[in-house]
Amino acid sequence: MHFRLNGQTADVDAEPTEPLLDVVRRAGCTGPKEGCWIGVCGACTVIVDGLPVSACLYLAGMAEDADVWTVEGLTADDPALVDAFADAAALQCGFCTPGQVTTAWWVAHRPDVDGGPGGARSPGGAGGPGGDPDVAALMAGNLCRCTGYQAIRAAVETYRAGH
Amino acid sequence: MSTVVHPSDVRVDAVRKIVGAEEYAGDVSLEGMVHACIVRSSERHARIEAVDTSAALTIDGVLRVVTAGDLDCALYGRIVRDIPVLAVDKVRYLGEPVAAVVATTRRLAELGAAAVVVEYGPLPAVVTADAALEPDAPLVHEAPWEYARAVVSPDDPPNLQSRAARGTRQEAEAALAGAAHVVDETYVTPAGHQGYLEPQCCVARWNAEAGSLELWIPNKTPYRLVEQLAACLGRPAASIELHPVAIGGDFGGKGSPMAGPLCAELSRLVGRPVRLALRYAEDLAATNPRHPTSIRVRMGCDTGGRLVGLVVDAQVDGGAYAGYKPMPEVSLRGIGHAASSYRVDAAYVESRIAYTNTVPKGHARAPGSPQITFAVESALDELALRSGLSPWEIRRRNVLRTGETGHEGVRYAEHRAAEVLERAERSIRPATAPAGTRHGLGIALYDRPTGLGYTSLRLTARADGDLDVGVAVPDTGTGSHTVVREVLAGALALDPACLHVRHLPTGALPGDQGVGGSRVTATLSSAALLAAERWQARGGEDSIVVELRGEAEEPITSYCAQVAQVAVDPTTGELTLLDLLTVVDVGTVVHPASHQSQVDGGATMGIGFALYEDLELDDGQVWASNLGEFKLPSVRDLPSLQTEVLEGGKGVGPANVKSIGELVNPPVAAAIANAVFAATGVRLRRVPLRAEDLWEALYPATAAAPGRPAVPAAAAAGPAPGGSSEQP
Ligand code: FES
Ligand code: FES
Repeated sequence: MHFRLNGQTADVDAEPTEPLLDVVRRAGCTGPKEGCWIGVCGACTVIVDGLPVSACLYLAGMAEDADVWTVEGLTADDPALVDAFADAAALQCGFCTPGQVTTAWWVAHRPDVDGGPGGARSPGGAGGPGGDPDVAALMAGNLCRCTGYQAIRAAVETYRAGH
Repeated sequence: MSTVVHPSDVRVDAVRKIVGAEEYAGDVSLEGMVHACIVRSSERHARIEAVDTSAALTIDGVLRVVTAGDLDCALYGRIVRDIPVLAVDKVRYLGEPVAAVVATTRRLAELGAAAVVVEYGPLPAVVTADAALEPDAPLVHEAPWEYARAVVSPDDPPNLQSRAARGTRQEAEAALAGAAHVVDETYVTPAGHQGYLEPQCCVARWNAEAGSLELWIPNKTPYRLVEQLAACLGRPAASIELHPVAIGGDFGGKGSPMAGPLCAELSRLVGRPVRLALRYAEDLAATNPRHPTSIRVRMGCDTGGRLVGLVVDAQVDGGAYAGYKPMPEVSLRGIGHAASSYRVDAAYVESRIAYTNTVPKGHARAPGSPQITFAVESALDELALRSGLSPWEIRRRNVLRTGETGHEGVRYAEHRAAEVLERAERSIRPATAPAGTRHGLGIALYDRPTGLGYTSLRLTARADGDLDVGVAVPDTGTGSHTVVREVLAGALALDPACLHVRHLPTGALPGDQGVGGSRVTATLSSAALLAAERWQARGGEDSIVVELRGEAEEPITSYCAQVAQVAVDPTTGELTLLDLLTVVDVGTVVHPASHQSQVDGGATMGIGFALYEDLELDDGQVWASNLGEFKLPSVRDLPSLQTEVLEGGKGVGPANVKSIGELVNPPVAAAIANAVFAATGVRLRRVPLRAEDLWEALYPATAAAPGRPAVPAAAAAGPAPGGSSEQP
């Protein structure tokens, strides 16, 4: 299959029905992790055409020609994203962290708060119709067993405020 | 020696974890590596009559199907060695490994495993501790006393794994007989998974020529795992090396050998490196979850509310094997600490752990403590009600004061229970319950001792003038490697950026006891101070190794009080946690951000135990078989979390630290249950606390009938907060 991975052209051998997670990990981006394997925990989150997806459920064939970003690419030239998590000590074991960082990037860069694709008030958007696009609502798809979320929330707020 | 604290320092592992560069076992890829998948039992208890591997072997890419007969190893276990690497002759729980398929890819290994056909001859099963301990119960093991290091004998009840008791039953019973008020209730807690996000995983490479075995496995007790593997595989410990990998969450679940012995055997059999990674569903169904308990508490006080007697009988479901429990007496220590915060004239505490045909249980954050604290701290509120005291007052009258000794007979350096309670009471910020709901507030108290363990550490000067710090123990996420850096930087008056902390492979250092018992910060900080001393006094060497075998001068314990505020919708029983206040008793906090993260994470895990997490093991099968069914709290499920840190405690060792990792999760459930009672007059004695149970208690007459009932007077009026009315 053919797609763009972290800004580079990627041509890889992949079955259209295999999870995108396996494909990006085989391509060397092992930041996204396999946790629940059913779209609940968010450890596998990657950005496909501007939207966060659970790469464990997202079929590789659906990402044909897409623009895919993983935590490696998102943090490569964004020291503010790295610092926000590091300064807040927003991690412990780190297994959820790539997914948290990826969703945090989307929280700050989301196309339209009010109703654009993935916007908090779009149909099925994180906040629901008229919902409050607060960080907890936007980050609820990323589980963390270690930190109790307080530091992650602070990190995401700091990073978003800088945008 | 004083400790300089650098509160703003970034964790040593922060950046590599944030950018996705940290290496976990599942990220390790070796030349020629192949993949394995386990064939698991579909029966609770059955003879294995035949295993047909022929269909699996026709799949292109399947290299080998392995059953017990192919293995060349003994049973394994942390203390009791009773776990077969693959089931021999019979299966004892649903999900038990029966065979393994090795293939060139994980997908092919999974296809191969699905194609293996096992024929079973079903046997009668026992799936609860109560049933298992009946005199004529079916036997899970024919002769459990014959296992290496077993703690039972042929005279014990048939399915006993272990029994632990403290105190004298007659004395405690006599004290209860003379009490003015007595509570006699039974509290029930479910099996629960630790919820670490990284499924169990292992990569093994067996080198036949060198006779060596290397493993990459997320295990928090690497030196002990080497011993366990050596015993199981019949090889010298010196031929086994564990490489450091990050651990994607532990909470007690990453202390057992788990995927290690099987993965090692598979690598030997196929002559290639093998990765054995579990899917999360396998992890939930068949690793080493928290023990379910049924705990009968009888507690009595005199007319002044003074505790005179306590009898605790805990029945614990240990599952099919005892080998995942690491304590020499194979018990859950937390249960023995029942009511350890209080003065009780006569106490007797007994726990019996049973073999059952269910997934074998292991350690989970503060083993036994969330269960016993839910029971005892709920019972104490029930006793307060009977003796006309407030929940605060009965605790104030009974908490241990410095100089006193509880029923465990340990004389701790200090007891800060009264101060912790006082700070909790003063720090409450009343939360507002939504219109139409009832507000309730509940308190619970807990204490946990801190000790010192064994570890070793290496300091090496680098060419650039910085110091390499080699540690023997993995950082399970708690920030322990950062603690080493902070303490060394303080003691050596160095910029923390000049210290490079690395976890070394086994064999590089003399040894380590492993992570557990909330002793890591105390042990590592003491070891770091010792290393700093030796470093400053060294001669010409540019590398030193220190070993710390810790003995605390005085026993130390720490207290935690929690206050929960809830809102209950009296029409539906829906329960909302509005606020959770945690007060912790600390010595010196070495790295405040990591400390706070332990408090927040512990409180959140306690909330999960109280409100959501249940493997639903009722008939011996884990029904909550994925992370959608076994619900961990998300950021949206949390109330406002407040923390109060009571400084100035006396801690362990020269670094003066107390425990935190397992201090905060145990009291949460009782605090919430007590708040629910204050709001509704309903006493829930089973976790998770569910709206359904609350609704059924509120509407006993209509609970069986469908339809939406009117709000009964008792629920609409409710008792005053603090719980001053009897149950409806
Ligand atoms: S692994 Fe994809 S959401 Fe959990
Ligand atoms: S840091 Fe461990 S799961 Fe989030």
